[in-house]
Amino acid sequence: MTHSLLELERVSKAFDGFQALDGASFSAAAGEIHALLGENGAGKSTLMNICCGLYTPDSGSLRLAGRETRLSGPREAAALGIGMVHQHFKLVRPFSILDNVLLSRLGSGDRIASAKGERLAMRAAIHEQAAALGGTLDPDARIDSLSIAEQQRVEVIKALIAGARILILDEPTAVLTDQEAEKLMLTLRRLASSGTTVVLVTHKLMDVKRFADRVTILRGGRTVGSIDPKGTALEELTRLTVGETLPTVRETQPVFGRRRLETLGLSVRRADGTKAVDAVSFHVRAGEIYAIAGVSGNGQSELTEVLMGLRRAGSGSVQFEDAGEAVTAADPARLRRYGVAFIPADRYRYALAGGLSVAENYGVGDVARGRYGSWLWLRRGRLRKNAEEALSSFDVQGVRALSQKAALLSGGNAQKLVIAREFSDPPSIIVAQSPSRGLDARATAAVHARLQASARNGAAVLLVSEDLDEAMKLAHRIGVMAGGKLVGEFTAPFDRQQIGGAMVGHA
Amino acid sequence: MRDDVSDATRRASPIDTAGNAVIAKAHAAGRQRRFGQISIEVRRSASFPLRLFALAAALVTGLGLSAFALILVGVPAESLADEFVSATILDPMNFKAVLVQAAPLILVGLAAAMAFRVRFWNLGIEGQMIFGGVGATLVSLLHLGPEWARLPLMGLAAVTCGALWASIPALLKLRLSVNEIISTLLLNYVAYYVLLHLLYGAWKDEDGFPHSPAYAASELLPNLDSGVSVSLVLAGGMTLLMTYLVARSRAGFYMRFVSANPGVARALGLPVANMVLFVVLVSGSLAALAGFVVSSGQEGRLTQSFFPGYGVSGVLIGFLARNNPVAAAVVALLMSVLVIAGQNLQVFYGIPPSMVQLIQAVVVMSVAASDFLVIHRVHWIRYRA
Repeated sequence: MTHSLLELERVSKAFDGFQALDGASFSAAAGEIHALLGENGAGKSTLMNICCGLYTPDSGSLRLAGRETRLSGPREAAALGIGMVHQHFKLVRPFSILDNVLLSRLGSGDRIASAKGERLAMRAAIHEQAAALGGTLDPDARIDSLSIAEQQRVEVIKALIAGARILILDEPTAVLTDQEAEKLMLTLRRLASSGTTVVLVTHKLMDVKRFADRVTILRGGRTVGSIDPKGTALEELTRLTVGETLPTVRETQPVFGRRRLETLGLSVRRADGTKAVDAVSFHVRAGEIYAIAGVSGNGQSELTEVLMGLRRAGSGSVQFEDAGEAVTAADPARLRRYGVAFIPADRYRYALAGGLSVAENYGVGDVARGRYGSWLWLRRGRLRKNAEEALSSFDVQGVRALSQKAALLSGGNAQKLVIAREFSDPPSIIVAQSPSRGLDARATAAVHARLQASARNGAAVLLVSEDLDEAMKLAHRIGVMAGGKLVGEFTAPFDRQQIGGAMVGHA
Repeated sequence: MRDDVSDATRRASPIDTAGNAVIAKAHAAGRQRRFGQISIEVRRSASFPLRLFALAAALVTGLGLSAFALILVGVPAESLADEFVSATILDPMNFKAVLVQAAPLILVGLAAAMAFRVRFWNLGIEGQMIFGGVGATLVSLLHLGPEWARLPLMGLAAVTCGALWASIPALLKLRLSVNEIISTLLLNYVAYYVLLHLLYGAWKDEDGFPHSPAYAASELLPNLDSGVSVSLVLAGGMTLLMTYLVARSRAGFYMRFVSANPGVARALGLPVANMVLFVVLVSGSLAALAGFVVSSGQEGRLTQSFFPGYGVSGVLIGFLARNNPVAAAVVALLMSVLVIAGQNLQVFYGIPPSMVQLIQAVVVMSVAASDFLVIHRVHWIRYRA
């Protein structure tokens, strides 16, 4: 057996008493695609942040090509051939691709004599690498003019130009459509066959099964095993990741009530005058889950923002049952009085103040409803007590104290906190956008169960999701958005081919 | 596949076909450094003792540097402690001066701290002070109300004028997105020239000097029996009121969300704009009270004594107190000690008046720099032989 290129042995790392890694081990050989699988909070990101020099381990060792190594920071890691593509790209958006590449090389000690010479060389290098990865990129294109998939490619190229022999990608497919993910995986396969080690941090079992040569599974900061995914059943992988089998929800035939939420010819214009949402009409009845499916960027975000009261509709109207009249623009405070709950895709932009405590984030909705005293006196004791109860009944884990900052929660637990707050007063309408994005299997199941339970209790649920599997699993009806228009409406049972066709047919 | 990589790429990314050789080479380079390395990583959260330690270390550093500077300009090292501690706090006369000076400093500190809590960078504290003084003087000149109600009326007029003046940049920001840093700063000049216009014009005293006629005895903030000025009681009361507002009222709860993340606050349906307006009015009122205290408690008339300094001091106090009202009062008291000690040093050792500002600046920069230690964790990595 050839010895491993990258090897981590019995690595531990604690953050303020929280043991993120507890003697985890990991080793990857040259030229393989190695998946690192685990639930949110299992320690995947911490382990990889140690590999790329962002964190220093409390104990344990890191070996590169058999040599014990200590990394002082990302720069040294890059010098040693370790490149990382973070989930949130480290790109300067108003800069061109070329400038971003040049920026990443500052201080690397690996520069070419003249600035002009370096620009020329890097321009050539970007072309070469893009071609080698199977595509083209204009080095002068600005980052904010690129799609998410293209930005990701820039990150990969940046790492390769820095000389990466080990490429770590954190949840690379989370932000991509099926087709884009497929393309990325082909690219990575090509890299691996040329000798690069690719480490794929993920919690998507299907990615592992389809693309990885080997998989290491983390659970609770420890390594559970390192196996060949091709020879392992999906159920076995699930069991290793989660530790127990997940309960499945059995669906009974629902009865729908009146129309709770309805849009009539709703149109929204972007800043440049083009229509992001174009005459969209649909309705959601009480007890019903209505999904809006579609490839991302086809107007779903704009539609959701209108429904959340954060954006004005250009024309058309939205009708909330409890409003009594059609409204074209409603502010978030009024929508909440109508009993609308929101589960936005971008939690730390629309739902949680990361710098504030878990208790404050939980209680803010009810404080506004006056449940914790008048304007003159805030009943903090009662708020804390209720927060504690809600955290346990909604199974929010990783809260060591109610005064802990919400930003320290893992994705799944942050989402559960949002749901605990939004559902503290049973909502009559729920608008959820990609509610399981970035969540592991168990948290996803919990979120889905909550949405289904709410619908059974008579709430109207609008689910805006880019994940067709999620939409098909939960929804009673699916509307497909493409190019800002609602191009098709389907009723359960669904035909995946038909819906998929509608999604791409009009794009 | 590697073979068709161009020359430029080869230079840029020195990958050879052997693969591991690059790593070995870089590794060898690292080992030549004999002393190890400093590694810096971002903390996920900082504990309270750590924050306290960082603050203490910053204060010691800042005061140490200031002491050094004072020694350089000729203050004997052995009398430094004497001048700062014994002469200001233990000497009854000077201690009284410290308390008199503290009242307006506490009020401007609170004004800054409150505004910062909704991310409104109020640099217009001096202008709001001026309008506080103008409001109070207006009541005095017009002899409004019965004599016993004159002082409360002056206070009320001061607060009203200050709040109205502060509402201009607030509304400009909320309605037209005008940056309040610019508008509040520039409105200070407008306020200053309004003051000059009054003092050289309609409100000029009969003695010909550019200040208003003296207030009547009933229009001066009195001293209590214990010798403590009512100004200080007023400042203390405002500190308690602000503490209640921040910690116990719903407005304080909303302020935390507006400050932590305005976008989230808006999406949650919190009245963000109204909160900002309300808090700016409160901030302007506090600054106006400071102006009232200077006019009625110190000068006895409307003068030009809203010298540039209160505004900056307020901002510094708010910053050092981390926008906490009680901490602002404490910091303001210390700032007052510094001001009085500085005046003494000027008299006895002839140091330039800007030394006081230098000390303020050094201390503030030390505290600001200590944030690095709170946010980051610094390791020393030693290579094993």
